Amino acid sequence: MKGYAGSLLYVDLTSGRIQVKPLDLEFARKNIGGLGFGTRIFLDLIKDAPPFDALSAHNPFVLMTGPLTGCGMDATARWSVCSKSPLTGFWGDANVGGHFGARLKMAGYDGIVITGAAEDPVYLFINDQQVELKDASPYWGKDVYTVTDALTKGLRAQSPKPGQVLTIGPAGENQVRFANLINKKGHAAGRTGLGAVWGSKKIKAIYVAGSGKVDIAHPEKLKALRSELKEIYAESIYISSIKSAGTPAHLDVGIITGDIPFKNWQMSDWEKVDDLGPASIEAKIHAGDRTCYACTVACKKNAEVKAGPFKTQKGPGPEYETVAAFGTMCLNADIESVAKANEICNRYGMDTISCGSTIAFAIDCFENGLLTTQETDGLELRWGNAAAIVTLAEKIGKKEGFGALLAEGSAKAAQRIGKGASRFLTTVKGLEAPMHDPRNAHGFGLAYGVSPRGACHEASLVYEIEGGAMYVPELPELADDLPEGSESRAKLNVACQDYGMFFSHCAIFCNLGAAPLNATQAVAMLNHVTGFDYTLEEVMEIGRRVWYLKRGLTNLFGARAKDDRLPPRIMTPMTEGPTEGSVPDMELMLTEFYKLRGLNEEGIPQEAVLRELGLETLADLFYRKQGS
Amino acid sequence: MAVFENSKTFSDVIVGFFNLLGDTPQVADKLIASKLVIRFIYSDPDVVVVVDCSGDAVDVRPGDTETKVIVEMSMKADIAHKFWFGKVNLTMALTRRQMVAKGPVPKILKLLPAIKPSYAMYPKYLVENGYSQYNIH
Repeated sequence: MKGYAGSLLYVDLTSGRIQVKPLDLEFARKNIGGLGFGTRIFLDLIKDAPPFDALSAHNPFVLMTGPLTGCGMDATARWSVCSKSPLTGFWGDANVGGHFGARLKMAGYDGIVITGAAEDPVYLFINDQQVELKDASPYWGKDVYTVTDALTKGLRAQSPKPGQVLTIGPAGENQVRFANLINKKGHAAGRTGLGAVWGSKKIKAIYVAGSGKVDIAHPEKLKALRSELKEIYAESIYISSIKSAGTPAHLDVGIITGDIPFKNWQMSDWEKVDDLGPASIEAKIHAGDRTCYACTVACKKNAEVKAGPFKTQKGPGPEYETVAAFGTMCLNADIESVAKANEICNRYGMDTISCGSTIAFAIDCFENGLLTTQETDGLELRWGNAAAIVTLAEKIGKKEGFGALLAEGSAKAAQRIGKGASRFLTTVKGLEAPMHDPRNAHGFGLAYGVSPRGACHEASLVYEIEGGAMYVPELPELADDLPEGSESRAKLNVACQDYGMFFSHCAIFCNLGAAPLNATQAVAMLNHVTGFDYTLEEVMEIGRRVWYLKRGLTNLFGARAKDDRLPPRIMTPMTEGPTEGSVPDMELMLTEFYKLRGLNEEGIPQEAVLRELGLETLADLFYRKQGS
Repeated sequence: MAVFENSKTFSDVIVGFFNLLGDTPQVADKLIASKLVIRFIYSDPDVVVVVDCSGDAVDVRPGDTETKVIVEMSMKADIAHKFWFGKVNLTMALTRRQMVAKGPVPKILKLLPAIKPSYAMYPKYLVENGYSQYNIH
């Protein structure tokens, strides 16, 4: 099997049973990989199950690589995880780079399906064919950095090749609802709280070492494509910018159009923004470059604060989303404190977008008198109070005092706080919005609204296309000049979802590093690696099916049309700045989108649409009459 | 149809604006600190301008095609006009090659915070200098 390792691991934590099942070639061809596999496998596991809580043993967890993972090309190191989200209660998935996925394939596995729950902490040890559950009690309670170092060094002698570690931190163990999974201390499967799922199952980590390699179907064709892309990459300003400054380069670019949220989405500019930008990062915290497996783009940056109250160890530095979440959102201009908050999130294993946004929400509540120091354990939660922000991040990771309330996520915290706190929320389906303002690009608003996992800029390619980083001339919807406003955004979203499911969810290209690829190059790479003969039309159809699967799964967990709306805070127009007076016309876009996607009034895909796509299981689950 | 009727009009507008930026300490200090020498190559209508920040002051030289520059930026005059209103998605313009930049990207990026105040200055400059007909704000 070219491109694929050829096997899937099934691990039942309740019984301790481990099975290796061959990957079916027809299944692979039909679903490509990543969430193409993950959604299918997850649905099969839950289709006959009664309703279950995300933090119960009944919630399956699926980790899948794609056929390109580990193939050695730029921007193909990524892989994905999925489960029911403890943060939102709906469908949850996350996409991550690093080195773990490539190593898993070298060990001989395309993915891991984890069911049940262990009684005591365990970790999964994988060394080629040797797969065992081992006692993780010495590591339980330890942070991500400590566990990563301990397992990498401690198990090195037991495997011929160095291993990679994927682990949760104390936040996952404590079931913080936005806990994540982290490889190599900074590559995070960040969103929707799937680290808490591991915590509930008492699985601390996976160590994987593999001595194999990913077989390529047409190595000469791949080599030629690599040469073609080398020139394109060399000319790409976008690649050059993330190569030089990482994703925080967006601080300088996004400010022009009003893309960056400030003060919990109440402002679109701030006189201190440059204190958080690339120049400030380079001067104060930059400590070298990092990269994902085999990627020469190397957009990841290390950071270190050498002294002072926010001293950190040298390690993975804050991405743009993190700088915005703990910086601009909280009106905190201290980049060293942002680096510290980032380190805390990495050590405890927490999503920086949800953590920073939840703290910004709490500051808003405090500043408006909904919270006092009595509730916040004495913390003066004021805009720009860097020390309080850092302290609160750690309290959330520990689930301690006021931090325990925020560990539930901002939506649940708002319910507990009451007094109208929900007006300060920036969530869709319970997931805190990423750091890109739909008042700047209205298509983002629809993308956040209808994203199956909640507000997300990577649930399709709308952010990359309307934001401008990608240009796909083979698909008119992804190449046309868009009018200002909300017009044509429904059509754009549909095409960006279909192509995005193929591109970054099934084949699993990196949305950053693979931004220069057009569709011809992307499909060619997939064919050269797998030996299949996909056409653009075929991968678009697969992408479409995966989108409906994700939508259907989130509908099965209770999401309905009312959950496709943006919160009032994001729908409030700015009174000045680049986005002055602009808000997405959600009524227009949702009406058009529902029609294009064939969703009924409740927001569920119509039966005929599902059956036409061959999604019989979903159709039966929604429309099968009782007793028939 | 292009916004500017001919090269002279556009040159007058853009050179006058660059001179204004050079006379505005808030912007000029950062430009001079960058030490960059940039050639802007505009088309439709055609205009070439060098903005030289290598000395003690910002030197704007229309028609300079000889100086060896560090950065070269090519674009249509209409795109440049929209850019100074803050109405161009820079990422998209570069991706779709509506703007072509040649030179060291990190240094080009460092210019962006420097020129941020200029977006508010441009419409005001047009009005105050008899170019109100080009104000799209």
